[in-house]
Amino acid sequence: MTALFRYHAAMLLRSQRWLPPVLLYGIFLAVGVQGGGPVLDSLGVAAAALLPVTAWLVRICTTQEPDAARAVTAAASGMPRAHLAALLAAAACAGALGVVGTAVVTAVSDPKSADGLVDVAPLPAGTAGLLAALVCLLVGATVGALCSRPLLRGRGWSLALTALLALLALVTTGSPAKAAVSGLVTGSRTGAIHTPGLSLAAAALLAAVAAGAVCVLGVRRG
Amino acid sequence: MGRRYGVGGPWVLRGVDLALPPRCLVRVEGTNGSGKSTLLRLLAGIDSPTEGRVTGRPVRRAYVPERFSVALPFTAAGYLTHLGRIHGLRGAEAAARAAEWLERFGAAGHARTALSELSKGTSQKVAVAQALLAEPELLVLDEAWTGLDSAARTQLDLAVAERVAAGGTVVFVDHDPRRLAGASDAVHTVAGNALVRGTPETSPAEQGPRVRVLAVGPPGAAPPDGLPGAPSYEPGPEAGTVRLSVAAAHSDALLRALLAARPPWHIREVRAPAPAERNATSTTSTTITTSTISTTGRATS
Repeated sequence: MTALFRYHAAMLLRSQRWLPPVLLYGIFLAVGVQGGGPVLDSLGVAAAALLPVTAWLVRICTTQEPDAARAVTAAASGMPRAHLAALLAAAACAGALGVVGTAVVTAVSDPKSADGLVDVAPLPAGTAGLLAALVCLLVGATVGALCSRPLLRGRGWSLALTALLALLALVTTGSPAKAAVSGLVTGSRTGAIHTPGLSLAAAALLAAVAAGAVCVLGVRRG
Repeated sequence: MGRRYGVGGPWVLRGVDLALPPRCLVRVEGTNGSGKSTLLRLLAGIDSPTEGRVTGRPVRRAYVPERFSVALPFTAAGYLTHLGRIHGLRGAEAAARAAEWLERFGAAGHARTALSELSKGTSQKVAVAQALLAEPELLVLDEAWTGLDSAARTQLDLAVAERVAAGGTVVFVDHDPRRLAGASDAVHTVAGNALVRGTPETSPAEQGPRVRVLAVGPPGAAPPDGLPGAPSYEPGPEAGTVRLSVAAAHSDALLRALLAARPPWHIREVRAPAPAERNATSTTSTTITTSTISTTGRATS
């Protein structure tokens, strides 16, 4: 598994395909986060931005391997493991991005509530922001995994559905990502830090089920 | 087992029942689009059957597709090292074997070339090298010879015979009917959507080139059982000598087995395949180390 992960991660890093989603994340942060703004609001934006970016990275990792090379790795290690490694490589890249983004946002934001009256401790706030980012990462990975091969092969449909589902995952009530982000943002009004424990559990379950489904289906549908 | 694409699609393969024992070279035949490639993909574990199942695949498996022009952001050596690791080798060993196999196929000069810049033939050599460096117990070759130069084709023939001699199972498809002729243990034909069992052609014309080996064994002993390529043998011109005849692809493996036998056999003479006018080459035996690879692999469907 380590070897497969290294293979997929190296493929992602060496082909400059990671650049557009990383730039998108940077643009989201540049537009949505103002230096000296309330920290919890900013962390909410950073976490939300990670969702579509992760979905995109997962799409890249599951489609970047040409069919002939995919057949070769699948024969060597089994299709489910090969597919899982691609998902993990994308998630690891998104994770690194999320950690850096959250740290920068925490550092440049004002450690106060939205009205500037209540102090917010940066460290607990950053931790809650990191967990919210993890929730968004898992939901984004789920969206990306369900909207690319082996389930959806057509490029057009797959892209449109990824964008649509990523948006819906951020605004639909009941989505763990929406719950985690709004927990940060509503907490910012009073200066209360909400740790998204339940959302994290739900997102992890969602991601595990989706990953299991696509990896098993991967061998059924090539 | 059976396979069809889509819920209501036509069956590409149906009712296929095939047992692949270890130490076996199997040829799959059939017309274009008959489902040969589908069968090979099912055997290699790339695809899974719609009904029935494939059981008992060995752990170390490798597959070579027909065309391997892939634009991956790796050098040839870098890609092979990654694949070696995926096959379970350690990094340093994977790199060493990658270099060794590239050299064997005459592509050592391209080790540092990006995969996307390789010619079609050199890419194919990389594909073949990734499969062989893992010493797979199940090797599946889907027209792997296509695009290789003739030296590399010969090397691949020899490498296939080595895998079989080491106890592996090799399944291949090739459009050249003479490919490994006389060396295959079984021939199966995909016709309609079924698999027809066949036995290899045994008429002399179809047997392919054969190498004759004159060997001296312990007094009165017959050649050991289970020699690579199942050579035929007869008493040689002098007392105590035996003349063995084997498909050319198996000759190296046969010599290695004879030299490594306990007690070892002495090789007196090796005669190249017909035309018989070609000069015979004599070899004196030196020590050859062989690694024994045990397999219990058995793929059934």
